[in-house]
Amino acid sequence: MIVAERKPFDEIVEMVAPYKKVLVLGCGSCVTVCLTGGERQAEILASQLRLAGRKKGLDLSVDFDCITRQCDREFTENLKFDPAEYDAVLSLACGVGVGFMSGVLPDTPVLPALNTTFYGAGVAEGVWEEYCHGCGDCVLAWTGGICPIARCSKSLINGACGGTNDGKCEVSQDMDCGWHLIYKRLQELGRLDELRKMRPPRDWSKNRSGGVRRLSREEMAEIAQESAE
Amino acid sequence: MQKADLTSRDIAELGRVTELMEREWSPCRYHCPVHADVRGYIEAAAQGRFGEAIDIIRENLPFAAVCGRVCHHPCETNCRRKDVDDPVAIRHVKRFVAELQGAEGCTVHKPPAQDKARVAIVGAGPAGLSAALHLAKLGYRPTVLEKFPIAGGIPATAIPRYRLPLEVVQIDVDWIRAHGVELITGVEVGKDRSIQDLLGEGYEAVLVAAGLAASRTLPLPGSDHPRVHLALDFLTALNFGDRPDAGDDVLVIGGGNVACDAARSCVRLKPAARVRMMCLENEEEMPAWEWERREAEEEGVGIIFRRGPVKVILEGDRIVGLTTRGVTRVFDSEGRFDPQYDDTDLSDLQCDTVVIAIGQMANMGFARGSGLKAGPGGRLEYDPATHQGSLPNVFFCGEIVTPPGSVVEACAHGQRAAKAIHMYLSGKTIQIDDSLPPYIDTIQPETAEKVLKVCRQAIPTDPPQRRRKLFTEFERGYDEPAVLAEARRCMNCGSGAEVLTDKCAACLTCLRVCPFDIPVVTDVARIQSTLCQACGMCIAECPANAIIARGRDVGELVQHTAAALAKMNGREPKVIAYVCGHHAGAADWGGRVEGVEGVAEIYLPSTARLSSAELLHAFENGADAVIVVACPDAADRYPQTADRTRRRVNQARRLLQEAGLDGQALQLLEVADQGRQAIRAALAEAAGKTSAS
Ligand SMILES: Cc1cc2nc3c(=O)[nH]c(=O)nc-3n(C[C@H](O)[C@H](O)[C@H](O)COP(=O)(O)OP(=O)(O)OC[C@H]3O[C@@H](n4cnc5c(N)ncnc54)[C@H](O)[C@@H]3O)c2cc1C
Ligand code: SF4
Ligand code: SF4
Repeated sequence: MIVAERKPFDEIVEMVAPYKKVLVLGCGSCVTVCLTGGERQAEILASQLRLAGRKKGLDLSVDFDCITRQCDREFTENLKFDPAEYDAVLSLACGVGVGFMSGVLPDTPVLPALNTTFYGAGVAEGVWEEYCHGCGDCVLAWTGGICPIARCSKSLINGACGGTNDGKCEVSQDMDCGWHLIYKRLQELGRLDELRKMRPPRDWSKNRSGGVRRLSREEMAEIAQESAE
Repeated sequence: MQKADLTSRDIAELGRVTELMEREWSPCRYHCPVHADVRGYIEAAAQGRFGEAIDIIRENLPFAAVCGRVCHHPCETNCRRKDVDDPVAIRHVKRFVAELQGAEGCTVHKPPAQDKARVAIVGAGPAGLSAALHLAKLGYRPTVLEKFPIAGGIPATAIPRYRLPLEVVQIDVDWIRAHGVELITGVEVGKDRSIQDLLGEGYEAVLVAAGLAASRTLPLPGSDHPRVHLALDFLTALNFGDRPDAGDDVLVIGGGNVACDAARSCVRLKPAARVRMMCLENEEEMPAWEWERREAEEEGVGIIFRRGPVKVILEGDRIVGLTTRGVTRVFDSEGRFDPQYDDTDLSDLQCDTVVIAIGQMANMGFARGSGLKAGPGGRLEYDPATHQGSLPNVFFCGEIVTPPGSVVEACAHGQRAAKAIHMYLSGKTIQIDDSLPPYIDTIQPETAEKVLKVCRQAIPTDPPQRRRKLFTEFERGYDEPAVLAEARRCMNCGSGAEVLTDKCAACLTCLRVCPFDIPVVTDVARIQSTLCQACGMCIAECPANAIIARGRDVGELVQHTAAALAKMNGREPKVIAYVCGHHAGAADWGGRVEGVEGVAEIYLPSTARLSSAELLHAFENGADAVIVVACPDAADRYPQTADRTRRRVNQARRLLQEAGLDGQALQLLEVADQGRQAIRAALAEAAGKTSAS
């Protein structure tokens, strides 16, 4: 899932400073799960903003709401408050939700309250770690299920760099060396031979460098087109 | 039971979340014959809201004070807590609140207009008075006619005073009368006035609730001796201040509750006498309630099993014994009463007094001149579904038509009859829906194991040696600390968590924080109300606001806090204290103690349910400082509460600081288990600190 963390409060205050009436909008998916952007967090942020507004003598009124996903238009029908009545929407979704909602609400600025940080998994209660980079050309089949793009600080594809040090990464002693992990895992699996195989150069165009990425499922997209006609 | 998914839309339509509680009952309520909201009144009592507690009880149970003393309490027998340690002492909690509040301390729900039909009720026992109350509440004008000079039925006239003082019966009678129930005592229907007279006088219906007013007797040779007593007459005489003639060696024939009462009364009449009971049944079959029998034995009553009476042995004009025979069986193969004897097994038991306590029967005197038809076997015609007899406007209820039972069952039957009369007088067909919602099943061993064990509060009773001499009550009630401690043992069954499936993100937080390991996350979180302990931990932590408590309305605490702050208007600074009340006195809960200047104390059953968002809302609503008074580790009623509370306070402090407020304006004191003085001192100190900073 997508993991995000709350922006520093001061930055949020600065963003909403030009507005008088703000709707804090939570998202009921990934960011609820990582405890940063669900309805409760929206409630808390709204509360904090009202408190700060009062403290600073600002003329600021804040409500909160939450929908199942901010990355699909249909869920906006479940909104309890009408965003059109607000000067700004402060979204607690990941960047996808913020961007998408900006399109859905053409007349209302949608502001990000979170920094979208990574695609991760819950590794312990209340702890999430990065597992994937969304590079568009998955290599996990021959890296023992450990992503070199995400788990190697330099996103190297051909093995560890010279900075690997007793299993740790030279970037930080607290961080495992991604390639060390890959090597050990393949060793356990008896698949070290995977590393000796020659591989064609990676197609980095599937990563960000190819521009905006898009998925169109023919079977559904066609139906949508037909019905539009 | 497979339960339907609940969504936020359902909740919005519901109005009050607490309506959910009606969908599935706690077993205590289900098994109570009048279905009193036991969980509700126990919770009110646990929070020292004694006036509310008695009002909740009286909503369903007119004989609250009487039942506080003598109820056979099927609620306790079915209390889920029995699988953790001991059932909650529900009857004693009821006794405390009923007698503390008296008749004046209970709300009277008299409708503004009582102008519907007049209804005459024969007999002022539990059934008749309950029916009268129900009718009065519906706007009818009931008149109760009672042959004795006092109202209350058997509880007033025959249940011994050492178990049930008359003042206690009077509480219920007074409260019922306050609803516009007219009571005429000293009138015997069938003798002084007939049912036809009543119908002619403008009563549109008559309800017969005459009970079982006569003792069954035995055609024993010698039983016309003045020292052979019938139990009911004997007990009634005692209750009216007479001292029936009893000797030094009493034999009570019978093994039921009435026999126990008669035997125990004989002990009190002559503490030096030998008193024995003799019954047909063996130990297991003996029909008396277990506690009645135990108390009798403690007081020195002996019990002889499996003997039947043959004749009273007289020497001159004195009784010297009773001839008895062996019993080979009491019940037939289908469980029907059909005793068989062995006439070769005869023996004499010494005694100089005999009390016959083999059951009661109806005195049909009321039927004289009524025009009511008797069916086969001399019994009056009666339809249990509609309560009607052979005349459509003459109804029956209570023990006159049901098998002998208890006060609370008679109350239930009276209420049902009142419903029937209401339908009849409104011109409708009498059709009463007796269906009930399902109830929550027994607690699973895995959960029971995790519930904090708390012993049932001991019930102070006089030692048997003292009891033997006195007709005054022998069982003392709880005092206030005991009643609070006992009521707090209740597990609030069925008031716990519900997941709003449309909001749940399956994030697993509830599963991780539940101290009882109740939630299961499949597609969404599934919390089985039958298992949930209603601690509220998951509700406080859920990041989707997707969990609510059946027993509490959403936003209740925030509203309560806002109201408390509004009351403090004009005062600066305003401090809110959220106090875990699990160890607090009733006066603390009710705010009737000397508080700390400028601090509004709000009591909670535990801080398990107090969320960090609620802490922020207190500041938003105008608090200058908030103090959380929690229990230290392991002193809270729910495991892990201290740790969770600490984390939430710390989180809320960070959030406050971010917003530019002083984090120190939020304090945590872990002294909630240390008594009023300590809490007060700690609050004063903390409040001083927060106002200084
Ligand atoms: C000795 C004894 C001990 C008991 N102990 C308990 C106990 O501990 N706990 C418990 O729950 N239950 C107990 N019971 C049972 C309980 O008392 C009865 O179940 C209950 O009282 C039945 O209520 P009722 O209204 O049907 O009848 P009753 O209580 O018998 O009331 C009927 C009333 O009608 C009056 N009446 C009768 N005929 C006429 C007439 N012709 N005109 C005017 N008035 C008339 C009677 O005087 C009486 O007041 C006990 C019963 C007895 C006999
Ligand atoms: S624990 Fe409380 S709610 Fe549960 S059955 Fe017992 S009295 Fe009723
Ligand atoms: S945390 Fe408490 S309220 Fe929630 S499911 Fe567990 S026992 Fe029930």
